[in-house]
Amino acid sequence: MEILGYLRPDGQIGIRNKVSIIFSTDCSRYVAQKLKMLFPEGTQIFGYPGGCGLVEGAFNKLVALGTHSSTAAALVVGLGCEGTDANQVAEAIAPTGRPVEAIKIQDAGGDLRAIEKGSRILVRMLQAASMAKRVPMSPGDLIVGTECGGSDATSGLASNPITGVAGDMLIDAGGTYMISELEELLGCSDILAKRAANDDVAGEVREAIADAEQRCFAGGRFAWGYGNIMGGLTSIEEKSYGALAKSGTKPLQGILRRYGLPKHKGFFLQVGETGSGWFHGDPEGVNQFAAHGAHLAMFTTGCGSTTGGLIPVIKVIANPTRMQLIRDNADFDATPIINGESTIQEMGAALYEEILAVAAGKLTKSEIYGHYEV
Amino acid sequence: MKNVAILLDPTDNVATALQELKAGETVTVMLEDVTYTVVLRDDIPFGHKYALRDVPKGTELLKYGLPIGQALEDMRAGDWVHVHNCRSEHFGTRHEKYGIHA
Repeated sequence: MEILGYLRPDGQIGIRNKVSIIFSTDCSRYVAQKLKMLFPEGTQIFGYPGGCGLVEGAFNKLVALGTHSSTAAALVVGLGCEGTDANQVAEAIAPTGRPVEAIKIQDAGGDLRAIEKGSRILVRMLQAASMAKRVPMSPGDLIVGTECGGSDATSGLASNPITGVAGDMLIDAGGTYMISELEELLGCSDILAKRAANDDVAGEVREAIADAEQRCFAGGRFAWGYGNIMGGLTSIEEKSYGALAKSGTKPLQGILRRYGLPKHKGFFLQVGETGSGWFHGDPEGVNQFAAHGAHLAMFTTGCGSTTGGLIPVIKVIANPTRMQLIRDNADFDATPIINGESTIQEMGAALYEEILAVAAGKLTKSEIYGHYEV
Repeated sequence: MKNVAILLDPTDNVATALQELKAGETVTVMLEDVTYTVVLRDDIPFGHKYALRDVPKGTELLKYGLPIGQALEDMRAGDWVHVHNCRSEHFGTRHEKYGIHA
């Protein structure tokens, strides 16, 4: 399959071509949303839903998303007095060569003038973005993340293992693959440490999972309950292995804690920066992948999920009953495994083909529905 | 042939039911060049596990090629494997002797 990407001035290649409208504070979200409504085609919106204070993680995340491969240009909208200064966000994006401008509602003279000013900037940016250079892209250029949510017995048996197979295939093609959700990997410390590319990474992953275990022990809170046992899971380890199945089998290259592109190719665990203000929930998990450079995400669900984000989300479901119910939101049908008609290897290979199709431009359900969840 | 159970790793000593299975049924699972055919000794609900071979007390039960817990009693091939006869000691302490894959 031929993938034609969008070449950015910093050399990144995107699979989508968007002008990003970024609100730097909750106080400027209104203007950003109005601009998104005025120019729904070719734009995307995200921002920092917090208040006055400058939160370093949040600032870095806005910059990471503003310099994402799918961002052709960025308009930063601020109120004017917040710590996450709109000009500073724009200045941090500018070195990548992307067109970027900032407007402050206080300086523009209120909502209406800010919307007018922003509209004129967006018209310019959208026209320039439409002329972005198209270049051939290989699977090895891709960065993909996988998350799970609304999990059930079919997640660990089918959906998660096939994402692992697809992730392995991506890495074999020279690409980059990541999973997240440390709290769901309790008991996997030694396994991941053995997969570490070097001793530093081994130490780091042991520490990270030990921290997560300690948090769970301290709070007496584990992602474990009666429903899991009724569903057939015998131990927390067994449940964790079901989540770990997303990871495939390749060496672990590192733990991603700083937003931006992974330093090299291969398999990573993604944690994200603390203090970026909005961590929980599945859509945010997808955006965390984006902040680490992911072009698209796979999302496995058993019960059903509608999750979208700033990057295309391929929703994988293997539960035949739930598939009937949530078909409208599903992108990849893994039910043949549970129905006994296909294997993990076969469906994993088909899922890899779906990744390439989406990279080549095939729209996912979350994109068609306009899910962005900021 | 339609699979009614799934083997996730060739080294596993348990398989997982893909549908409700009944005691007395003969069930075959295959993965790569490994095949197990056993007669079930218990009913196995969807998503639950059964032993693929006899498992002595104290042996690790393996799923995904990884230890999910130890046998609390001697198990026979076809036995239902769950919290009544399998328990894990603690997270992350018992994986050294197993492969790195999951």
